[in-house]
Amino acid sequence: MPTPRSLRRQNPITLVLAGILCIGFFIFFFSGNDATPGAGTARATTAETASNVLSPPSLPFRKAKLNQPAAAPPVVHYYMNNLTTSRTPIENRETVLVLTPMARFYQEYWDNLLKVNYPHDLIALGYIIPKTKEGNLAYAALQVQVLKTQSGPKAKRFASVTILRQDTETPLQSQSEQERHKLENQKPRRSAMAKARNSLLFTTMGPTTSWVLWIDADVIEFPPTLIQDLALYDVPIIAPNCFQRFYNADTKANDIREYDFNNWIDSPTARDMAAKMAKDDILVEGYGEMPTYRSLMTKMYDPSADPGTKVKLDGVGGATLLVKAEVHRDGAMFPAFPFYHLIETEGFAKMASRLNWESYGLPNYLVFHYNE
Amino acid sequence: MLPLHGSSPKGKMHRHAYSNGGNAAYPSNGTFSIQPHKFQPRSQPASRRRRQLIQRILLVGSVFFTAVFFFYPDLRPNLGSGPLSFFTSGEDSQLETVRYYDLNNVQGTARGWEREERILLCAPLRDAAPHLDMFFAHLKNLTYPHNLIDLAFLVGDSKDNTISKLEEKLTDLQAAKDPKQQFGEISIMEKDFGQKVNQDVESRHGFAAQAGRRKSMAQARNWLLSAALRPTHSWVYWRDVDVETAPFTILEDLMRHNKDVIVPNVWRPLPDWLGGEQPYDLNSWQESDTALALADTLDEDAVIVEGYAEYATWRPHLAYLRDPYGDPDMEMEIDGVGGVSILAKAKVFRSGVHFPAFSFEKHAETEGFGKMAKRMKFSVVGLPHYTIWHLYEPSVDDIRHMEEMEKDRKSKEAEEQAKKDRVNKIKDQFDSKSSDWEKEKAAVQNLVQKEKNEHKEKEKEKDKVVEKVKEETKNEVEQAKKVAEQPKKEHRKADPDQVHEAKGEEEKEKSQPAQANNGK
Repeated sequence: MPTPRSLRRQNPITLVLAGILCIGFFIFFFSGNDATPGAGTARATTAETASNVLSPPSLPFRKAKLNQPAAAPPVVHYYMNNLTTSRTPIENRETVLVLTPMARFYQEYWDNLLKVNYPHDLIALGYIIPKTKEGNLAYAALQVQVLKTQSGPKAKRFASVTILRQDTETPLQSQSEQERHKLENQKPRRSAMAKARNSLLFTTMGPTTSWVLWIDADVIEFPPTLIQDLALYDVPIIAPNCFQRFYNADTKANDIREYDFNNWIDSPTARDMAAKMAKDDILVEGYGEMPTYRSLMTKMYDPSADPGTKVKLDGVGGATLLVKAEVHRDGAMFPAFPFYHLIETEGFAKMASRLNWESYGLPNYLVFHYNE
Repeated sequence: MLPLHGSSPKGKMHRHAYSNGGNAAYPSNGTFSIQPHKFQPRSQPASRRRRQLIQRILLVGSVFFTAVFFFYPDLRPNLGSGPLSFFTSGEDSQLETVRYYDLNNVQGTARGWEREERILLCAPLRDAAPHLDMFFAHLKNLTYPHNLIDLAFLVGDSKDNTISKLEEKLTDLQAAKDPKQQFGEISIMEKDFGQKVNQDVESRHGFAAQAGRRKSMAQARNWLLSAALRPTHSWVYWRDVDVETAPFTILEDLMRHNKDVIVPNVWRPLPDWLGGEQPYDLNSWQESDTALALADTLDEDAVIVEGYAEYATWRPHLAYLRDPYGDPDMEMEIDGVGGVSILAKAKVFRSGVHFPAFSFEKHAETEGFGKMAKRMKFSVVGLPHYTIWHLYEPSVDDIRHMEEMEKDRKSKEAEEQAKKDRVNKIKDQFDSKSSDWEKEKAAVQNLVQKEKNEHKEKEKEKDKVVEKVKEETKNEVEQAKKVAEQPKKEHRKADPDQVHEAKGEEEKEKSQPAQANNGK
């Protein structure tokens, strides 16, 4: 048989090209293999990387090699005495768990989150999404963004992202603003919300988490230094003031208005009302039918005053809330049942105070809610 | 056609066929063969140059990208998982940062081992080193698939070597050759809360210390749970390390009931003088009206603790309802639960139920947990006739009592010994006397016998009177001889007596109670 024509007639330059490509692939192959068991990389990752899939979701983990038999999960020692929550979280390499119960996905939310200038490798994200039609849409949209970010430039990647689908039923099918905010819908809605928050919190909080930052999916604007700014106050629970941007038809200009009424200081009237209530009734804020005369933090906003002012609160909202992880670890959760006639985030502040953790608010530090 | 074929010469046909084939396979350089390069126009120099240019661009490009990817691994394209990922940058693609979970899959069912439901086994530890061997023996014996069990320990304020021992034991466990003996995720959390309360039995169970102690225990439990619970867990099992006896199938046994929270009955074995056994865990109870009324009178921060006379609650306790022969599957609705062995669905904890470290409806820790679970409409159940046994640790009183008993026993023993000696002494004397008496009896019998014989002889030989007289004197002489021998015999018997005494000592130890009774 004569030699195949293709080889005989090949230009030598193509042979060289093929050779170089081959070498290139070999280099890829070996550099890819060598990097994993390297001692240098192992040292750098032991602190924040788990070596097994069975690990806290707040940490990334190294996948098992396909061709190797699965090793027994290791015995992992966590020194929780060394966990700090300080004024200088970046310097102390304190990890932040950002938790968002999500019913709808807002692109503005994600874009805003990416702008956070706290080191992203210290941030773990957690989402819980209801199993509804709307939830499926949010799930798909979130997944696209997460994959894009996590395969993008390294500096922008978050340490880990956990996405949960909710197991509890959602009492309201509609997430529209009117439906959500009806007084009679408040108890079942907020009870389900509390369960979702607790599910998210207790399954994603790992032994290395220092701070928990709650951000609602419809909070679309806050300063990129939010975490450092709030941590600077070094208090167990701290909430900025949640406002909403809108177009004011009267002044024909863009304006802001108060949004989250759940940050408040208790009043004697509210205490009296609570005392007269049946065991399972709840007090909610922001409804004309139920005048509680509590001092709302939204009313305390004063652009001319000291932007660093801090006030002590008795009830907090969940729109944006920075909590020291030890508060949650001690057991402060979001009651899904009336707890001192309070529920969800307001009940959380109450439960935290029963555990001797105080809540604070920043009336002049604004975050903005989406305007529907 | 056929006849034609048949008539045609074979050789000719073959040759024809061969030549045809030959022509097709190797075209000769005859006039009809076509050589493409001769007749096709040569490629234009312009297109050849273009091809060369393309080749050079490709070459330069590939060299460039190889170099770039080599020096900047970050820029390498993500080829996804699977075999292709070997060609991407190693470290990054091996690192997984996104996890998806559906909590509907981890609700917990009655037959979890078939659905591969994961259990989180939580054990709070403090100065527990002496109990670890026992605890690990229990772990190894569990029949629930070990790879589905994740272990989480919180070690706090320990002054002994609990941590090092635990770590060593766990490493051993995971190094087991049999993969079926290997457990899932294992975490040891170290956290000191700075507890003031001592962990010894007395201060642990004193009434005054209860509220504070229960609150700090609750805190430890919450820290452990919140750090160890994962979205993959369907069940959470709380187990104290100082459980002495429990069925190997306890996880399956409790799971089969398919309740949100379920506890077995907890008893403990006792020494015989204390009654042999005793209910141990009094924190599993049903609420009573008395207790509810009592709770209303108490201060906001007060904690009702069960099992102390200070709070008479009149609640039906799970522990007291035990019947050793009762149906172990019998269930009982309860409101407060004890923490020795709790199996709960993970969804209970996910929904926020925890161990209140504050006074929740006047209860804390596990009792508060039961109350809170009830408040959130979860089912809380106890099994009165399914019993596990807690280790018996004698209390200070018990130890004192046992010391007293030991002293009593010793003094009684000494007394017994003295009595025994006395009895033995008396017995010895009595024995020698009786042997004397025996010998005398024998002698007397001899005499009687002889007398009888004599009597017979007398009857037979009445005439031989002289001889009789002679015999009588002979007998008298013999008797005199025997009497003379008596002291000699006694002397000889001294040895057997000593043997008897040694035997008596042996017997004394064996038959002491009977003798003691006799003594009384």
